[in-house]
Amino acid sequence: MGRALMTTDLPTGSVEHDPAFAADATVTISDVSVWFGAKVALSELSCSFGPGITGLLGPNGAGKTTLMRAMTGLVGVNQGTVRVEGRDPRRERNVRGRLALVPEDEAVPAGLTARQLVRYTADLFGVADREAPDRALASVGMLSVADRRVNEFSKGMRQRTKIAASLVTDPSILVLDEPLNGADPVQRLALIELFKSLADTGRTVIVSSHVLGEVERMAERMIVLVHGRLAAAGGRHAIRDAMDDRPRHVLVRSTDGRHLAIALIGLEAVDGIKFDNARDGLVIQTRNARVLATALPRVARETSVRLLEVRALDDSLESLFRELVR
Amino acid sequence: MSTAAPLPAKAGAPSRPRSRFIAIVAYTWRSCFPRKRWAAVLLPCAGAVLFGLLARTVDHFPTRERAFANIAAEGIFSLMMPIAALVIGDSVLGAEVRAGTFHFTWLSPAPRWQIVIGRWLGGATVSITTIAPAAALAAVVAGTATSAGAAFVAAAVGSVSYVALFIAIGCITRRTAVWSLAIVFLVERLLGSALTGIAQLSPTWESRAAFVGYLDDPPSRLIRSGIPEGGGAIVRLLIIAAVALAIATWRMSHMRLSGASD
Repeated sequence: MGRALMTTDLPTGSVEHDPAFAADATVTISDVSVWFGAKVALSELSCSFGPGITGLLGPNGAGKTTLMRAMTGLVGVNQGTVRVEGRDPRRERNVRGRLALVPEDEAVPAGLTARQLVRYTADLFGVADREAPDRALASVGMLSVADRRVNEFSKGMRQRTKIAASLVTDPSILVLDEPLNGADPVQRLALIELFKSLADTGRTVIVSSHVLGEVERMAERMIVLVHGRLAAAGGRHAIRDAMDDRPRHVLVRSTDGRHLAIALIGLEAVDGIKFDNARDGLVIQTRNARVLATALPRVARETSVRLLEVRALDDSLESLFRELVR
Repeated sequence: MSTAAPLPAKAGAPSRPRSRFIAIVAYTWRSCFPRKRWAAVLLPCAGAVLFGLLARTVDHFPTRERAFANIAAEGIFSLMMPIAALVIGDSVLGAEVRAGTFHFTWLSPAPRWQIVIGRWLGGATVSITTIAPAAALAAVVAGTATSAGAAFVAAAVGSVSYVALFIAIGCITRRTAVWSLAIVFLVERLLGSALTGIAQLSPTWESRAAFVGYLDDPPSRLIRSGIPEGGGAIVRLLIIAAVALAIATWRMSHMRLSGASD
């Protein structure tokens, strides 16, 4: 991957050109470490978040949730500082009125309807507008079921109710931990549009996920965490390029693998080919997947071989994370 | 699903926001006591009434009042009341922290004392409407209706003191039930039996003393030196509650809400 993306090697002082830091930061994380007993959740992490949508990426256990909880003050840091609009969210409760967190946990208060939960949040935050809870519920498509108990909802509906509860306070900083979990494709699209519209109004929206494609659709900027450390940061195109530039494996099933392999081996984009009996096809290693994607149909046509399946074997964020920490 | 109006528009004449405090109390009633929790509260209350029945059947005490006093001191104030109060105290805070839903309240700009007092008040009203009537009913069932008022008052104040104590424990540790049981049965019962200093800080011993102090003919074995009876014990119970709530408020700022899964 491009070394410019890597920020962990950079000295802390070089904030100006460091992609881990937003130009007009509203949330600043400085040398933060958090541990729970012997388990280190975050280690000397420095980055910042500004207006717009920032994707927080990382495999399970990378420290995304801990970072989000530290940002909102739910978890105190053992070392370093967290500042939200220049204030400590753990100590200064007034800053909490500017923040909203949608946690990943499925747990919701028992016995409350969606409307009661959103209204409770509105009351706690001193929202005077009595119509605000219904508008927040409508914005996530939950108004029609507002009088049903939240603990009877599906995972996606619970998540949307929690998003409504966070929107009702009109926060300037929205922290969303895996907000699309459990949502169906239509809901996902609608929620992504909602987050984009929030970001368009100058809000800081931080969205965590372990699925790159999901975050790519909404976030311009991404922070990648691995093992509690900053692994990469930058624009979504830079992160995607990092994925494209690294060695990848492509499975190709065809009517005549032997002839296809002979024709492909001479291509510059192909680093290696092996037969995979288990998958009944060729596994091609390449550093330039785009060139290979263009060349493969042409070579197949020239050798009169029919392609049955072409599939990237490691086109997942997990493989990128592995690459980043290698 | 609609994505219209993502944010609440400030429309119409602004109205006054609802009281945070009332919202917290109402939330406590609505959300912290699902059916299973109610069953867990009402079961020891039913046990208290059974102790009243037991007091009615024993015949080796000179009066029914004395029989009830002896059995209530051991069965109701030392066993059923702490257990019911533990369920209530854990429900209003510890259970929420463990479930990962307390952040809905904690993340708000509401002052910590409002959260603590609001939760306590919600729990206290539940204990006053369940444990205290059960203790009074036990006296009636035992055939000594004159003791019902003393039992009600002592159980009411004792249980609200316990609820405060269990809220404080919920702010200190996630294992609220384990630590609360250890405090009730090991510290209060075992150490408190031997050491008056411990008993003076114990809701069990103080509520027993409050109950005994309001009886017309209290058994002498229930009167313990160093612990005032009646009103004096009530004052001490209220002080214990106040100190526990102060500790809870202080500790709440230091809680690490790492989520249900952690």
